[in-house]
Amino acid sequence: MHFRNLSLVSLVLVSSFSLTAQAAEDWAKIEQAAKGQTVYFNAWGGGENINQYIDWAAEQAQQRYAITVKHVKITDAAEVVKRIQTEQQAGRTSDGSVDLIWVNGENFSTLKRGQLLYGPWAEQLPNWVNVDTKKPVQQDFSESTDGLEAPWGTAQLTFIADRNKLATPPDSATALLKFAQENPGRVTYPKPPSFHGTTFLKQLLLDLSTDSAALSKPVDTEQFTKLTQPLWAYLDELHKVAWQQGKSFPASDAEMHQKLADGELLISLSFNPNEAASLVAAKRLPESAYSFGFKKGTIGNVHFLAIPFNAKAKEAAQVFANFLLSPEAQAHKADLKVWGDPSVLLANKLPQQAANPSVLPADVPTLAEPHASWVEALEKEWIKRYGS
Amino acid sequence: MRCLSLANTNSQSVDRGLSFIAWLGVLLILGLPLLGLIPIFMVGLQAKAWQLLWSDPQFLPALKLTLFSAGISTLWSLILACALVFLFYPSKTWQRLQQQLPIFLAIPHAAFAIGLVFLLAPSGWLVRLVSPLFAWTAPPTWLTTTQDPYALSLSLALTLKETWFLLWVMTGLISQEWLVKQSLIAKSLGYSAWQAGWQILFPQVLKSLAWPLLAVFAYGLSVVDMALILGPSTPPSLAVLAWQWFADPDPIQQLKAQVLALVLVGLLVLGAGGAYLAYKFLTALWSKPSGRRQRTSVIRFLSPWFSYLLTLPFWLSLGLLLLWSLADSWFFPQIVPSRLGFATWQQAELEPLLMTLWIATCSVLISLPLALLWLEWGKQRQAYLYLPLIIPALPFTAAQYQLALLLKLEGSLSAVIWSHLAWVLPYILLVLTGAYQRLDTRYLLTAKTLGYNTWQACLYIKWPLLLRPIMAAAAVGFAVSVAQYLPTAFIGGGRIETVTTEAVSLSSGGNRATLAVQAVLQALLPLFAFMTATSLSRWYARQHPGLN
Repeated sequence: MHFRNLSLVSLVLVSSFSLTAQAAEDWAKIEQAAKGQTVYFNAWGGGENINQYIDWAAEQAQQRYAITVKHVKITDAAEVVKRIQTEQQAGRTSDGSVDLIWVNGENFSTLKRGQLLYGPWAEQLPNWVNVDTKKPVQQDFSESTDGLEAPWGTAQLTFIADRNKLATPPDSATALLKFAQENPGRVTYPKPPSFHGTTFLKQLLLDLSTDSAALSKPVDTEQFTKLTQPLWAYLDELHKVAWQQGKSFPASDAEMHQKLADGELLISLSFNPNEAASLVAAKRLPESAYSFGFKKGTIGNVHFLAIPFNAKAKEAAQVFANFLLSPEAQAHKADLKVWGDPSVLLANKLPQQAANPSVLPADVPTLAEPHASWVEALEKEWIKRYGS
Repeated sequence: MRCLSLANTNSQSVDRGLSFIAWLGVLLILGLPLLGLIPIFMVGLQAKAWQLLWSDPQFLPALKLTLFSAGISTLWSLILACALVFLFYPSKTWQRLQQQLPIFLAIPHAAFAIGLVFLLAPSGWLVRLVSPLFAWTAPPTWLTTTQDPYALSLSLALTLKETWFLLWVMTGLISQEWLVKQSLIAKSLGYSAWQAGWQILFPQVLKSLAWPLLAVFAYGLSVVDMALILGPSTPPSLAVLAWQWFADPDPIQQLKAQVLALVLVGLLVLGAGGAYLAYKFLTALWSKPSGRRQRTSVIRFLSPWFSYLLTLPFWLSLGLLLLWSLADSWFFPQIVPSRLGFATWQQAELEPLLMTLWIATCSVLISLPLALLWLEWGKQRQAYLYLPLIIPALPFTAAQYQLALLLKLEGSLSAVIWSHLAWVLPYILLVLTGAYQRLDTRYLLTAKTLGYNTWQACLYIKWPLLLRPIMAAAAVGFAVSVAQYLPTAFIGGGRIETVTTEAVSLSSGGNRATLAVQAVLQALLPLFAFMTATSLSRWYARQHPGLN
């Protein structure tokens, strides 16, 4: 009996050991195959700090793994999704032009549904053990990731203002409207369907709606009309007193920051809790700039890395993604002087950062993204109502 | 006798060979993408696609906007360019304008638009300049100067930019002897230069301006980069809508984009038809002049200001681009940056600059010889060569991309250069054709009588005589290549970075200093090309006195 138990235990031990040994061996094979490969990393190229971080990571990958990483600076991940689709239609099942793509939400769900992704691979990465799985790293806008994409960073909607011009920030959608009415022409948001514009709409919807459970399910027409009614009523009021009377909108969050710096706007917004601190460091916002959120919380999510089905350098793409998930790379990324993008790793894997007055206070709760299908419905309705 | 006929067959086979090269080149560059357009235009047969487009709430307002901005900017740039000629040709002011002309032509549209935003925006330099008078500490909220809902700022920018393009075209036209004689006669009969210009010269040059005007109108219809920077967004112009829909993975949006591309072509045909009717109407109207001599004292009084009104925006925009590229921190309402520094320049990436230089040089080195071969051995008058200047850039680029995909060439440098040729070659031809046809044919005839075959006559006589327009065409080709955004982004698969793609991707990022650096680089490259072209032809003229 004892003997049998022992043998069972040892069997389990041995098999689990051999499993990890097997995994290590597999990974060594991937690393070996990755040597000399070139990864075309398609990632948004509009932020210098991000570009510089990617340059740094590319140098590290070259030194450590003999991998060449080329940053393909794109303006919109949807364009890359389109390119991958075109390649599939043209019968290009190997040697695709994209090896790794920075993606989430709608674009991920398009890629996943079109079976345009390689994998699962993400949860087999050696650095997966460092990932904080309490964060929504396995759900992307209510769509299960299924190991088809590896988390890279987290984000949370953050409002930015100048303390010298706005001492007590509005802490809800209603307070924001009141503030806009008191300061006509100084509040606006990026034009949907830009990413930040749509996120702002979702934020308002979450803040104004009474039934947040319905929002995490796929959208249906009846629900949509009912649930979004308060949102459109709100926007009708807001646009009356918004920047340019709501007849035109900034194109991006970056344009909002510039207008905040110019004094044209009193509130800007970002999807990076550390953005204001980074902008102050870059002298693009005055030192009195600070971040705030709503009392009920602001919308947050995780952004990911995925490998297309026809990628040429699948091995090198995984090795690079694994490096980007390492505590060292994640800590460097979170550094405000570098990029300031919050990490997806467990807190105990990372060095502590000094408190900075410009970053979003930690006590602002994170609200989950509505289901990905809401994005298109909201954007369509917005364009119908205010797009022309 | 035998010897002569042998030489004759020999020269004929040379001619045939050169003609073959010319045709092959043109087919590869323009014919292939035009074939690739067919499937895109087949979409126009689907009623469903039209319904989709029609039911989009943005379509009609965007249509109005686009027609307005493209139409008004074409009309005004024609009027302004003519006014410049009739007021100042030939005078000291005219010479000054001619000296500045290459610079204004060379500045890419995107860079100029960015500079204009720095100048005109509610937080721009003009508002900063006057803000102490009104004690503004923040930009006034009632001011809508850029991205206005009526596309006025976009129209203004297009007008200013295209005026110089038309002026440049007209410079070649008005120096013709018969026009100079006619205006001399008109003046001796007591007409002012202004009245003679509009009543005698204008109807005659208008015919030669038809193609350039159509190109200006087509550009206004299909411009994307400038419209993104200066145009409205609710709704945007049709070209921007098409661009956004083409980039959308949703097949329905794709369909809409393709029909929209067709609509743009339809608008062009409509515009051309309308312009032709207007031309007929005007010539009928002008066929019986009253003979009254108009007084022009007011115009003469205003004219010195007029030239500054057209040149100043360029100099201020360029100056602001430079200043912003050197600004370390510059908040409203400061008129000049609080700190200047080279930090942004030091961090600037130079790879895109070198890449742009390389692509543009290759494009010119291929297009220029091909254009010369075509003019001599191909067919001189072929309207379809100018189609890329007239078909909206989007569907054309999409066709090029499909071809590159088929040949597995997307993302390669050679494919990007090939895609640029579709615009560089027509522009070079556009510049060269006029001068080529104007050249006295007796030179060539004499050379041939004296024993040169066509190739030799061209090489030793014709092309050296045409060196100035050839150099100008090369510079224009270079500038055209530098400014290409869509083909570089599409066919390059994002892998080929030029200063233009850098500037556009940074324009969504918002750091004005970095943006300014790329815009300055984008403006400097063609400027450098024009300067090289001018100094080369000057140098050649000094070596060969008697040439002009």
